[in-house]
Amino acid sequence: MTSGIVFDIKEFTVHDGPGVRTTVFLKGCPLACMWCHNPESQSIQPQVIRTPTGERVAGREYTASELAGLLNQQATLLRANEGGITFSGGEPLFQAEFVAEVIDRLDGLHVILDTCGHAAQADFLLVLARSDLVFYDLKLINRVAHLHYTGIDNDLILGNLQLLGESGKPFVIRVPMVPGVTDTDENLTGIARTVEKMPGLVEVDLLPYNRAAGAKYRYAGMEFKPDYDEARPVSFNMKIFEQAGLKVKRV
Amino acid sequence: MNERLVLLKQRMRAGEHKRLRQEQSIELLTECEAEGLSWPRRVARLVRRQCEAEQVVIAPEEKIVFTRTLPSVPPVYTVDEWSCLSAGRTLHELGPVSNICADWGLLLSQGLLGRREVAAVTRLRMADDQKAVEFLDCAIDTIDAVLDLTGRYASKSSQLGREDLAELLEAVPAHPARTFREALQSLRLCHAVVWLGGNYHVGLGRFDQYLWPYLQSDLQAGTLTVAEAEELLAEFFIALNKDSDLYPGVQQGDNGQSLTLGGVTPDGSSAVNELTRMVLCVSRDLELIDPKINLRISSQTDLELLCLASELTRKGLGFPQYSNDEVVIPALVAHGYDLQDARDYVVAACWEFIIPGRGMEVVNIGAVSFPAAVDQAIRSSLAEGLGFDDILSRTAANIRQQVQALAEAYSILLLPPAPYYSVFMRGCLEQGRDLSEGLQYNNLGIHGACSANAADALAAVRQFVFEEKSLPANELLNALQANFDGFEPLRRQLDENGPKVGSNDERADGLLVTLFEDFASACEDYGQLPWGGKLRPGTGSAMYYIWLAKGHAGMREPLVAATADGRRNGEPFSANLAPAPGVRVRGPISTLQSFSKIDYQRICNGGPITMELSDTVFRDPESIRKVAMLVRIFVQLGCQQLQLNNLNVDTLLDAKAHPEMHKNLIVRVWGWSGYFCELAPEYQDHIIARSLYQVK
Repeated sequence: MTSGIVFDIKEFTVHDGPGVRTTVFLKGCPLACMWCHNPESQSIQPQVIRTPTGERVAGREYTASELAGLLNQQATLLRANEGGITFSGGEPLFQAEFVAEVIDRLDGLHVILDTCGHAAQADFLLVLARSDLVFYDLKLINRVAHLHYTGIDNDLILGNLQLLGESGKPFVIRVPMVPGVTDTDENLTGIARTVEKMPGLVEVDLLPYNRAAGAKYRYAGMEFKPDYDEARPVSFNMKIFEQAGLKVKRV
Repeated sequence: MNERLVLLKQRMRAGEHKRLRQEQSIELLTECEAEGLSWPRRVARLVRRQCEAEQVVIAPEEKIVFTRTLPSVPPVYTVDEWSCLSAGRTLHELGPVSNICADWGLLLSQGLLGRREVAAVTRLRMADDQKAVEFLDCAIDTIDAVLDLTGRYASKSSQLGREDLAELLEAVPAHPARTFREALQSLRLCHAVVWLGGNYHVGLGRFDQYLWPYLQSDLQAGTLTVAEAEELLAEFFIALNKDSDLYPGVQQGDNGQSLTLGGVTPDGSSAVNELTRMVLCVSRDLELIDPKINLRISSQTDLELLCLASELTRKGLGFPQYSNDEVVIPALVAHGYDLQDARDYVVAACWEFIIPGRGMEVVNIGAVSFPAAVDQAIRSSLAEGLGFDDILSRTAANIRQQVQALAEAYSILLLPPAPYYSVFMRGCLEQGRDLSEGLQYNNLGIHGACSANAADALAAVRQFVFEEKSLPANELLNALQANFDGFEPLRRQLDENGPKVGSNDERADGLLVTLFEDFASACEDYGQLPWGGKLRPGTGSAMYYIWLAKGHAGMREPLVAATADGRRNGEPFSANLAPAPGVRVRGPISTLQSFSKIDYQRICNGGPITMELSDTVFRDPESIRKVAMLVRIFVQLGCQQLQLNNLNVDTLLDAKAHPEMHKNLIVRVWGWSGYFCELAPEYQDHIIARSLYQVK
């Protein structure tokens, strides 16, 4: 049996999909976004978080059956209330086999994969086949900018997005709105162009910028160093998507 | 809300009516002494003189009148006479009957003259029974006093050219109500006079049941529109908020002006009607602390109704509080209530389930201090080198002892007569008996307070001292003795790594269940009280989460110092059913699962699972529906009572620093909602601490 590292399990996550859901945050991410608001999720290793109120270790190993067992304790309630499980992170596809095995052991629960898309094709398809809905993060269309802000280029991300589009599986594009970085008209237009013809697209969600991230870096013993102006207001240019005939919303 | 209501609300919140208050309260002792009046006659005289001394206040914009001008309720005995009278007896709180619920339907369907007629008939029939005759004379005298007061309001209305009001007051409360407005006016006057006579925590009962027929017939006849009905209701609710500062309570807002909505009819079918929804809508829009709303629900309740109720939660009102009919009704039946009566239950001032018009129950005689029971057992057993089973049996013995002490004290309970309040109870006028002599149901309620901390302490001792053997008993005892001074790593180990109630963790939840089973057994084994009632165990904490930790004048329960769950001396305990303050739990659904393990068929006195939701939960328009689903999960799990709060910690901190900017900020305190800025600092701090560990 596989095992995986989870850094948090949150119940009643009202912003992570339909109905009453529990979100599993898997630890470890191939990206290191400059604005990441879960810095403790980047490394797959458990790590110590020091806050003013004390210390705790973020990250715990579960076997697939252990985690599925825990989630199944509430399966009846989640099913009866239009909900299910959302796998988020970090990057759930970073531990794709583990996630797939957990899903296989779930008691008929609706599954959302919340991914950045950077994964080997086989890993992506392995979990995609087991998911009912995908939240697909799309940050930057420009390859160079993507490399600069996330530490990695977007080749795999755009490739997997094509696969997702062709699969016909319902998905939501989620764009983290970072002032001066992802909220530019050029970037949003690029995103709209990329997804506008995909039949499975449910909507585009524009996520608010989280200014409270800085403290979490200190607690995790990491450094927060944005090279953009955090104080600048985010530009939510919804028209770009509306004109492309896409459903868009701020969440 | 229209302009008239906005104005009425503003004037009320600004306290304009307080300027009309008389400076002096009336003096009653002289005439009571001179005439050598009996206790019932003194209480009746009190109601009469209070009604006579009330000055008529009619504001031009009012459609429902009565504004209290008397600042207080005078004593009917001198201090010395009173101590003689009550020597060797137990008084409940301030003395007068409180926290019961009238059957207001009796008033509306019969009118005061109808009730008077019942009393007169009984008086003839029981002419030889001196005590009955005296009681009935007293009741009749108070009815006449209220009618005289109404007469003065009617004349003044005519003088002011308010013929609508004069007509209204000719009709009610003397006669049965015919319209929704008449019903509200009748209720307003008669309810306010109960307060004026010194009784308190005067509830409003099944508001949407006894008032619905009047609203329904007005709407059907086309004599009232929905908008007009909402306006009358809003005016009535605003009036209820006028005298909060005159009501006795531990903190301002703790006044028991609660009402109950929804549930089932006596035949078991759904009792939800248009008025249920109207009350919720009006209360949501008014944003006032009174009336406090309880909503009876079941697995059959429409999600739409729960959504509407969740809108009140989003507003931060701290109500409605939910109770689960599927759990409460059978539990009441198991405790000796008739099925039809059980189906008619309402929630008392805070949480307890009572039957309107049929209960002279004292549902909050005090609390079993679980922390004290557990702490003594842990310390004494460890000091003697005993095992965990001994700790459990000592805990059970301590709980039993506390239950017995409370029951003994209340076996000699002294209840003052309440002839006026008796007018609205079933059987009093019919049988010539004051309600203080007992009604159909006469049980006592005891709460089991601060259960989560107590279970956590047991769980930590079992795990670290006995199972892992990583903590020598002596070291724990020394650490507790030193209030963890010099033992910080140990304290953190207990606090952070011990099993905790609220995470669906059997290691802690099992002990929580054990505590309540011990409590239930102690109550059941105590058996009958001298007058035949029994003890009902519950899960509330009232102010004990602060008192047991910090002490309070006159408190029966012992103070509890540092505890084995890692809690330091003086830190508050968990309120009602909630994880211990500061504990990180898996989430709200796990917390509901933890508390669903309690056997609510035995533990039936009420006391809610209390949860804080961050205001970020409500950011999304879909979130109302999800909060409604969370409420539905509470029912699906078979829990008993639930109370949800919506808090923003920054707002609370700012309100503490700048109270003048947050005069209208409402929070739920324990069984009631109040204005944050009117609370004592320790209660404010507890709410701030609660909000730090909420669901985001």
